Amino acid sequence: MKTLRKKDTRVPRRPLLWLAAALLFTLPPMFGTLPSWVPLLFLIALAAKFWMEPKGYRLRSLIWKLVFVALILSLLFFSYGSLRGMEPGVSLIVLLTSVKILEAHTAREFHIMIMVAWILCLCGFFLSQNLAIALCLLIAFALLLVALIQFHRGLSSAFWPPIRIAAKLLAQAVPLIILLFLFFPRINTGLRFQIAPQRGASAGFSDRLSPGSVAVLANSSAAAFRAEFPDGKIPPLSAMYWRGVVMWHGEGLEWKAPAGPAALPRTSQGPPRGEAIRQWITIEPHDAHWMFALDWPVNSPSGAVLAPGNYLWSNQPIHKPRRYEVTSYPEIPNNRLHSREREPLLQVPASISPAARALAQSWATEKPNPRAIVNKALEFFRTQGFHYSFSPGQYGKNDLDEFLFHRRLGFCEHYAASFATLMRLAGIPARVVTGYLGGEYNEIGHFFLVRQADAHAWCEVWFPDSGWERVDPTAVVAPDRVNLGVNFFLERRAATGQLDNTQSAFARQLARWPIFGRARLGWQTLSYAWDTRVLSFDGDEQASFFASLGMAGHRPIFFIVGTLSFATALLTLYAGWTHLRTRPGGNRVKIMYETFCRKAARLGASRNPSEGPLDFSVRATRLLPNESERIRRIANTYIALRYAPAPDPMMLEQFAKEVNAFVRAS
Amino acid sequence: MRQAAPSKSRFPLSPTTSFAGLLFVLVAIWYAASSQNNAASYLLLFALASVSLVSIPWTFSNMGGLQATVESVKPAFAGQEISLAVEVTNGSRGTRYDIAVALPDLGDAHERIDEIPAGKAARTVLRFPAAIRGEHEVGRLQLTSAYPLGFLRVVKQLPSPQRYVVYPKPAGEQRLPAETSRSGQSSSRREFGEGDDFAGVRAYVRGESQRHIDWKAVARGQALMTKQFTAESDGLLYLDFAAVRLDDLEARLSQLTLWVIEAERARRPYGLRLPAIEIPPSLGEPHLHRCLHALALFK
Repeated sequence: MKTLRKKDTRVPRRPLLWLAAALLFTLPPMFGTLPSWVPLLFLIALAAKFWMEPKGYRLRSLIWKLVFVALILSLLFFSYGSLRGMEPGVSLIVLLTSVKILEAHTAREFHIMIMVAWILCLCGFFLSQNLAIALCLLIAFALLLVALIQFHRGLSSAFWPPIRIAAKLLAQAVPLIILLFLFFPRINTGLRFQIAPQRGASAGFSDRLSPGSVAVLANSSAAAFRAEFPDGKIPPLSAMYWRGVVMWHGEGLEWKAPAGPAALPRTSQGPPRGEAIRQWITIEPHDAHWMFALDWPVNSPSGAVLAPGNYLWSNQPIHKPRRYEVTSYPEIPNNRLHSREREPLLQVPASISPAARALAQSWATEKPNPRAIVNKALEFFRTQGFHYSFSPGQYGKNDLDEFLFHRRLGFCEHYAASFATLMRLAGIPARVVTGYLGGEYNEIGHFFLVRQADAHAWCEVWFPDSGWERVDPTAVVAPDRVNLGVNFFLERRAATGQLDNTQSAFARQLARWPIFGRARLGWQTLSYAWDTRVLSFDGDEQASFFASLGMAGHRPIFFIVGTLSFATALLTLYAGWTHLRTRPGGNRVKIMYETFCRKAARLGASRNPSEGPLDFSVRATRLLPNESERIRRIANTYIALRYAPAPDPMMLEQFAKEVNAFVRAS
Repeated sequence: MRQAAPSKSRFPLSPTTSFAGLLFVLVAIWYAASSQNNAASYLLLFALASVSLVSIPWTFSNMGGLQATVESVKPAFAGQEISLAVEVTNGSRGTRYDIAVALPDLGDAHERIDEIPAGKAARTVLRFPAAIRGEHEVGRLQLTSAYPLGFLRVVKQLPSPQRYVVYPKPAGEQRLPAETSRSGQSSSRREFGEGDDFAGVRAYVRGESQRHIDWKAVARGQALMTKQFTAESDGLLYLDFAAVRLDDLEARLSQLTLWVIEAERARRPYGLRLPAIEIPPSLGEPHLHRCLHALALFK
């Protein structure tokens, strides 16, 4: 068939409205990840289109289009410095779409816009994959279907039917989507293009602990990871130290992690002690190598190593949500420390002030026992007027003295860093560990949600009799932080007016409503399910899924053919069902009479639609003289059955027999 | 009116132009998803593919129960447009949307019907150029629909037994023969129109002389009628194939067609003499069409 004339005509207003609504729903992932002028220009283009459309204006001139494109390219170049990478690429697509919006007006361009909108959905998933974004994009997807359906319904102005049909289509597609998602092979194309999205500092802590580096996370409610305890053995909240990175290199208040796990000598350690705690952890992407586990992990998930110092290190940076299983023990005795291990654990920078050195030395000379020195140091923090604060103010890079002797106001990183440095000065091997402390239990989904705000830093010191032991100086200064979690701590501070953030105080008031709390837990559970069941289902997960079904080792083509044949079967089922539902209406008599007419037409006597049954029978008997007797009987019975006030049921059977026998006899 | 019966000769599903766009989008999403191993993008890919697949039964069922009939076609002159009225009946229990009606054997004429409610019919008129004189078959009627998503279309071909006639194109340089040819019985022929003896009335045609309008009938409240008189005519106008001094057959027929129209317009009774057929002189629309029909079918 040739091109439809419709293609050259203007698109009716209603499908355009649906399309615009869909485009609006593709925007949320762009706010926050792209420079805000990009989605704003897109919005302006949409608004301009709605102003231009009734007036018949549109972007026609090629010169203006080129000017716009050049403008966009230069703006992007100035904004990013380069057009390579994902965010400039997505921005480019968004801005070119804006120009296209101004230009488009024919039916063909309407279809192009629909395709572009689907590409925008894809871009959205590249920018962010959390559940809220996914729901927005699902709505956009559905609205695009509605726009297409409305387009094909022409000028029909009913509001609900296109939505209903789109919903039915989606509902029918769900089994197919699940099937394809689970079984369609995730072929690794080898066409990898690495586009690592650039994230802000809120995505987690860095490999460096400096004054204020953990405190900036304290107000971020973004999820860091979620943990499930499949065996039901849940440690108390105050012991829920999620180990992230171990920092060996200290410079007073600033500590650094090694660049990679291989840079350290392997520590010898004894068998783990205590009760094994199994965890399923679903980590949010943070584009670094850290993976988290309770103190102390003993095994490493696939794709990760257990680095010296017993922390997990992913081989690949974590760019997408990942789920792994890890087992931890509360204790791993390690009472041998080689001198070449011991040496770096005692290193302190030369810039440490004599006052700090003297303080540590005084403890070491007073108490020869390392445990006693540790207790002495903790006592120093408890009794000398130290305060725990989210905003301790600016400390210089190595203002250890100012912290220890003057201001005495700090967040966990100050305490951990200064404590570890003091321990080293006192001759006790010490290191700083960063990670998270505690978490929020979700009673609907039975998991712990650990937020960025739960970020924490603590110390580990080595004792000759038992090995490494955790010492948290923050627990001495602010016991509530450890026992009750950071949220409670924040709430109490807000209540006492120490936090002059009225809006967040209002939000916290709201959060105390039971319904709101339930809804929040439900949303977290859904979000967790989305991360664990959907987002983490990648090629490797699929392979293990196939293995668990006993289908490992099949070639991808097996699954492609399998899924496609199942899809075909499902489609046939749908087709049969819709056919049955919408087959021509009418009662049995009419259907049988139509059968008779079809049979007669095959013999050369076709009935005109305008011809009555009696007229037709007269003509048919002339055309088919051999069947004249039967044709007359059928016509008479049909008329009697259709128009008599109360036809005899026997007559219907007789009629059916006659119609059946009509051609067979000839 | 004749009923067209469905025929299932070829595979009824074919892609539309936006299917190419869909394929492009699917491949793009697949490429992006597989190279980033991005599960959410995979989900988008499968959702789009599944919805497109699931729409196929909808497209098929949107064709169910549709019948199309071609109404009788008015003849046209070669070079003019033929208007062909098609009635599409929806015998099913569901509303049918976005039906394109086309005549694939007769060029790319097509019309769209937005909506046909259950049990109802919709009528549309297809126009296509009448190229060659003669009697032609309408051939196949094609119903197409890409509803609901427009990626794939279902085509239903219905053979139509309906025929239509194209008259020769009226053309030529030669003037209408002025003198009438004599024949033996001609003296008894009566010529309508002008004359002395009243022969009856017929409907008034706009542009005619108002001299013969039956004004008395108008006064009685009836429609405008023209009184007809007969006159003895000494000769009759016979448009003779052999009399056209042209070599080309089509040119001859065109000239005769033109003459027939001119004679009718001049209200001079005319007859047509072709090698095989002779139509006795007369006037009026049925006579005109009879002559034109004979010219159209001339072999």
